Amino acid sequence: MKKALALLLALVMVLSMAACGTSKTEETKAAAPAPAETQAATPAETEAPAAEEGKVFNIYAWNEEFKGFFEKYYTVPEGITVNWIINPSDGGVYQDKLDEALLNQENAPADEKIDMFLAEADYILKYTDSEFTQDIQALGVTDFSNTYEYTVQAASDSNGVVKGVSFQCCPSALIYRRSIAKDVLGTDDPAEVQAKLDSWDKFNAVAADAKAKGYYMTASESETFRVFSDNGTSALVDDSGKLTLNDSIKAWQAQAKDFSDKGYTLTTGIWDDECTAQMFKDGKTMCYFGPAWYFNFSMGNAQDPEKGCPGDWAICQGPQAHFWGGTWLLAATGSDNPTMLADIMDTFINDEEVCENLIKNESQFTNNQAVNAKFAADPNYGNAFLGGQNDVAVFVDLAKNIKFENKTIYDQLLCEGLQTYWREYCDGEVTEEEAMANYYKYINEKYPEIVTP
Amino acid sequence: MNQLREKAPAKHKSISYAKWGYLFIAPFFITYAIFKLYPLFLTIYNSFFENYRSGLKQVGPNFVGLANYIKLFTPDANGIIDIIKYTGNTVVLWLGGAIPQIVIALLLAIFFTSYRLNIKGQQFFKTVIYMPNLIMASAFSMLFYTLFSNVGPVNQLLMQMGIAEKPIDFFAIKITVRSLICLMNFLLWFGNTTILLMAGIMGIDQNMFEAANIDGATSTQTFFRVTLPLLTPILVYTVITALIGGLQMFDVPQVLTNGAGNPNRSSMTLIMFLNSYLKTSKNYGMAGAISVIIFIITGLLSMLVYRSLTKKD
Repeated sequence: MKKALALLLALVMVLSMAACGTSKTEETKAAAPAPAETQAATPAETEAPAAEEGKVFNIYAWNEEFKGFFEKYYTVPEGITVNWIINPSDGGVYQDKLDEALLNQENAPADEKIDMFLAEADYILKYTDSEFTQDIQALGVTDFSNTYEYTVQAASDSNGVVKGVSFQCCPSALIYRRSIAKDVLGTDDPAEVQAKLDSWDKFNAVAADAKAKGYYMTASESETFRVFSDNGTSALVDDSGKLTLNDSIKAWQAQAKDFSDKGYTLTTGIWDDECTAQMFKDGKTMCYFGPAWYFNFSMGNAQDPEKGCPGDWAICQGPQAHFWGGTWLLAATGSDNPTMLADIMDTFINDEEVCENLIKNESQFTNNQAVNAKFAADPNYGNAFLGGQNDVAVFVDLAKNIKFENKTIYDQLLCEGLQTYWREYCDGEVTEEEAMANYYKYINEKYPEIVTP
Repeated sequence: MNQLREKAPAKHKSISYAKWGYLFIAPFFITYAIFKLYPLFLTIYNSFFENYRSGLKQVGPNFVGLANYIKLFTPDANGIIDIIKYTGNTVVLWLGGAIPQIVIALLLAIFFTSYRLNIKGQQFFKTVIYMPNLIMASAFSMLFYTLFSNVGPVNQLLMQMGIAEKPIDFFAIKITVRSLICLMNFLLWFGNTTILLMAGIMGIDQNMFEAANIDGATSTQTFFRVTLPLLTPILVYTVITALIGGLQMFDVPQVLTNGAGNPNRSSMTLIMFLNSYLKTSKNYGMAGAISVIIFIITGLLSMLVYRSLTKKD
């Protein structure tokens, strides 16, 4: 009897513990059917003229970059509080939180509704081509004459309705360390460096020279990923929902393994401390790749006045032209501050003074072609971080190549995952088959609808 | 009871006090049914459906029968069945942490309760060994992540002492990642187990120890013949709770490996696997199926532990 009772109690305990782990699951499920109603109801609501606008302006973002510019250059109308909700982008956390909030937008009190949210090139399609964003031309943002065409195309849905704007244009360049380039290539002049690194063959050959002199060509085997992936001829997921790694991606995979084996690169993630530690003065890495936002925001270690090496950098096109990322401001359906929403968007693309400040003070490459052209032609303008080089002039040329194509709503996590799992193969921890099998498993978990080999 | 019954008024043939008993235990069973039993059956029900989110769109729920279970047990291109691999990972990670945890905790408990040793400053030591448990597991693993990262202090120390030439990538090597997880779980929980076992030992009648002492038993004999048998109920409780906790291992490896369970998914535990289905895709069908499997595994293992530890009764 005692034994049976003890067994029963043990079972009850097990049951309760196991139930604990799963009960969460159910709560959220109940909320899931809501989106259908949301979609139907909200557009009508926003078209009605808002007599009085909300007192709280909610912005969803994944880092502090735009927040900094916003606080410096945008004057918030009196009586309105701006509320930033910031979640990290890594691992899709930002997208998950944003999706949750958007699906709940209809039921949220007016002051908690999202007014504006930020989105990146890797997943912007998910939001533009949905009912959760609204037409900004209807809100009064109509002048796109100075913006780069691809930024408008990226922010439009499949019917051409524009849902947001980008405050930056993101042609990506090869960012090299001048002192190391002098040692390895014998020059730090951007034109000459470009001539020596204008193809992958040359790039790989120089990597061997750099290694011989005790340097790393790149700080992460994934540094070159975006250069290859942006030059691919097909999207990562085709129309039938099948994962397809095009030849460009395969070329990157081969290069990553080759560079890792030969010691031309460190094997680490591009956002990891080990990679960014190479940007310090005592770093041994010659090349990074990225747009203006990369060196003005993500290269904080290099900008550090004591441990960094500002001025010891320069940019050129590199082996292949490409673009990477970019932050778009999208107008959320159901916003109770449509006037301010439109005003912010207009300010960051059309206000010349703001755009000039973005270049002068923030080393941005703006989404205003007229302002960019002015700086590109200005002989007195130079970027101190890049040793006085006129980065705007370089980017004006590179921006002509940008095409927003072969994008899917899955790109962020598919790219992150490929880099993570392929790195294990580069490290020699797993075989190629195991690395790819692990990657496919990861995809199945994140996106059950994608068909993997 | 009989006296009471006799004194009861004549018009009642008998009074049942049992209903008060039922009334008093009812709240537990009601809460249990609502918050535990119902979700449990709902989870099982859910595991037969295709039900996930694709971006901002909801797919399902569509009844798919056993498809989720079949998918779970289908081997990949390399012949590996995920759920079995992750069960293995979980058990290895649990044993690596639980065995030292129980051994050390038992040892400490005996030291602290021994009237012969009569350790001074017990309160201080008890507080110190319990301390790690007060730290949040995620903060603790973040700390370890920082300590052992490629640019972290451990690597710097190893390089300065000339032990390593270049930084050791602790998080890319299977054995180091697993060892770190075991070490952390051990550090987090051994204090708690010590306190539990001490309570158990102190519950044993001191006369037993004295009697054994007078009969000339050595310390080892006292431990194996007196302490251990009398400690069994508490030990069973400790092992079963540790087992359930171990099977639910999540926070430490999740934070340490950023949810990837690398390298080669060798530190991916069952709950991490479950969690990976719930994050972006909100795949309740697959997550439900995994939950059911975890439930079955936990039940079986608990039964096994219970049987093997109480066999002698």
